[in-house]
Amino acid sequence: MEIVAINQISPDQVILFQWGWIVINATLVYTWMVMGLLVVGSILITRGLSPERAMSRWQNLMEVILSNVRSEIGEIAKDGADHYFPFIGTLFLFILFSNILTFIPGYVAPTSALTTTSALAVMVFFAVPIFGITKLGVIEYLKEYFRPNVIFFPFHVMGEFSRTLALAVRLFGNLMSHEKVIAILLAVTPLFFPIVMQALGLLIGLIQAYIFAILAMVYIASASQSHEETEHKGKKHGKETPEK
Amino acid sequence: MHIDWFVFFAQIVNFLILLFLLKKFLYGRIIGAMDAREARIAATFAEAEKAREEASRSVLMCEKKLQDIQGASDEMMNKARGEADAYRRELMDKAREEVDEIQNRWTETLRSERENFFQELRRLTGTQVYAITRRVLKDLADMDLEQRIVQILTERIETMNREERERIRTLMTAGEKITIQSAFDIPPEAREKLNGTIRMSIGSGIEVAYEKSDDVMSGYELRINGYKIAWSMKDYLDTLEEKFYHVLYEESQERKQVH
Repeated sequence: MEIVAINQISPDQVILFQWGWIVINATLVYTWMVMGLLVVGSILITRGLSPERAMSRWQNLMEVILSNVRSEIGEIAKDGADHYFPFIGTLFLFILFSNILTFIPGYVAPTSALTTTSALAVMVFFAVPIFGITKLGVIEYLKEYFRPNVIFFPFHVMGEFSRTLALAVRLFGNLMSHEKVIAILLAVTPLFFPIVMQALGLLIGLIQAYIFAILAMVYIASASQSHEETEHKGKKHGKETPEK
Repeated sequence: MHIDWFVFFAQIVNFLILLFLLKKFLYGRIIGAMDAREARIAATFAEAEKAREEASRSVLMCEKKLQDIQGASDEMMNKARGEADAYRRELMDKAREEVDEIQNRWTETLRSERENFFQELRRLTGTQVYAITRRVLKDLADMDLEQRIVQILTERIETMNREERERIRTLMTAGEKITIQSAFDIPPEAREKLNGTIRMSIGSGIEVAYEKSDDVMSGYELRINGYKIAWSMKDYLDTLEEKFYHVLYEESQERKQVH
């Protein structure tokens, strides 16, 4: 018996336990599994952490991943990368591990459920003003909504919502469709193609995790840099700041 | 599309919990370790850079020291060379002085020896010539040389012209003697004869003193208060000495040229 049947579009629909309005579905269970894996792995890896040049392979792997995430954040945020690092890093690691664990038979990525992607997108939605206000202050942050003039205010607000929706739907759509394509291929050609698609799925999972984290960082960074600062930096680098 | 809001909020909470746990167990530790390693590597690099700079400074210092040593060595060498030159010149001057002194001494010795030689030659020659002449006169003319010399003196006094006699008389003062020096003892007969001739030719009261002297070379000298009538072999011997000298000098010159 399949955990997620072909007619069920996401693991949200696989309800394992329900007591009143409390629902425990497959999405939550797989999320806890990924969380448990990440937390236990982190504890194990960081247990024998070495500041010396010689280190364990796992520590090396984690350092490679985290230092790359950190440098990517640094390239986008320019300054204060470590401030954004826990949020963006957690987004990336959670989505990445949720996605790449799909090679385990029976596992369904929680990111292929709209509730998860929506929750993550809403997190980004709130993180943008929180980081922006922390960095610029309330007034300076709100001023950005009225640039270049007041007419643009509704467009900015619409932009905020639409990009949050786009974040949620992009990740959900990619992962969910991938799950469905594999399910369909298993039904049609159970031998060779599903394996190729699984391999492709790992790549898609990685890319989606990267896209989600980078976009979140770009949104936060754009909100955390004032208009004057952006212009100054653009002139300093001899080019205008790219459109977000 | 149905969204279960409980699951939705549960996912948000899940994410926040994950964020908290990862921050606690992963990021802080990993980043701390990475930063510590970076700091350590940076410190190592800084130390290496410091060591490199120190090494560069040491190299520069050593090069400078080497240059100083080279300079000092050159200076010392030049000074030593100058001192050696000065010392060499000094030694040369000293040697030259010594050589000059030795040469002068040698020349002086040579001159002294030559003089001694000629003096001895003159003495021996005089003696020999006197002896030979004496013998020749005896053999050929049966005459005594001393007698002949006294005879010559006698004749000389007798043949003095008037002016000469007057001059001697004017030179004579009261009690002044005429001194006759000869290389041999004039016998008393000859003395009497000479006294007679002198008194007859110059003046009657004249006293005559006779002295024997080796200075008078085989001849005589008659002295009257600075006036002198003499005959000796000195002139002949002087000529002989001069001829000897020339012969010896020419021979030594020839020897020098040969060497």
